[in-house]
Amino acid sequence: MTKKQQQPIEVFMPPNVLKQKVGGTSASIDMSAVKRAEQALETLKTEFGDWIAADVQMLSASRDAFAAEASPERQGDLYRASHDLRGQARTFEFPLVERVATSLCRLLDAPGAAKAIALVDAHVGAIHVIVRDKIKDRNNPMASTLAKELETRVGEFLAQPARS
Amino acid sequence: MGYRFDRLRILIVDDNLHMRKMLSAIVRAFGVATVFEAPNGVQAWSKFRDLNPDIIFLDWMMPGMTGLEFARLARTSPDSPNPYVAIIMVTAYTQLEHVHQARDAGVTEFLAKPISANSVLARITAVIENPRSFVRTPDYFGPCRRRRNDESYRGPERRGAGVTQRAAGSAAAENRGTA
Repeated sequence: MTKKQQQPIEVFMPPNVLKQKVGGTSASIDMSAVKRAEQALETLKTEFGDWIAADVQMLSASRDAFAAEASPERQGDLYRASHDLRGQARTFEFPLVERVATSLCRLLDAPGAAKAIALVDAHVGAIHVIVRDKIKDRNNPMASTLAKELETRVGEFLAQPARS
Repeated sequence: MGYRFDRLRILIVDDNLHMRKMLSAIVRAFGVATVFEAPNGVQAWSKFRDLNPDIIFLDWMMPGMTGLEFARLARTSPDSPNPYVAIIMVTAYTQLEHVHQARDAGVTEFLAKPISANSVLARITAVIENPRSFVRTPDYFGPCRRRRNDESYRGPERRGAGVTQRAAGSAAAENRGTA
């Protein structure tokens, strides 16, 4: 038995300070609070167009930096920009941007992504077009076909044995 | 009586300004009066130490210190003001391997993006009503990584023989994350 294994494992319940602080019970949650929060999000919706435009601009800038120098840091920046869109685009009412950004994250997660800069560009271009044309319907025939094609190409790239 | 959310102090950590705005708008609408924001792990650590929030909404992917690194620091650093702080990881990662990574870093709850008023409320309610027991092992300090106690389990204690259980409240004088 190693020294680590000999050390005891301690399990304990810290005092529930949060509960002491807020009191009440979940059964008595004021559901109007949820309505107020939804209204707050509705108010923010007027800004969503500008927000997604800013996120797409960040994606383009990260793409340019990655194309100029395919370092792990710049790949990380591009991944983060894509990951932000993946996480927020549906909230901003652009579900197909979420789908394309998810595909781009999958590509950038793989070793050798720098060799697929054309495929990276195709994703960034698709996101640009979807936002520019305000395509908010996830079933839009042109955009969903494009998203499916990009997903297929990423799958093919990832299946290549010697990509790294 | 409903929760007194106005008594909560919440820290929102995300490098994306828009996500911080949305989360802040949601928790303020719930009645939380004291909301702090930080755009990266370093500033978050400083605010955590200075302001001692009750709940931290933590983004995973940030430049510099990641959310996972922040969570580990909050749990185990001798400088942590509260190693038991409720940490809600907010992320677009939803695969099981990511949930396991977050769990192993000491995250209390997992909130998948895109967020909604209901999903945020559900996680806040979870950390208030269903606090996790804490575990100290040679390799880990943080919330118990088992989501539930299986009362019907009749097998051997899987953590091994050296498990000690402490009573509720005895952790009050717990030192700050020595694992």
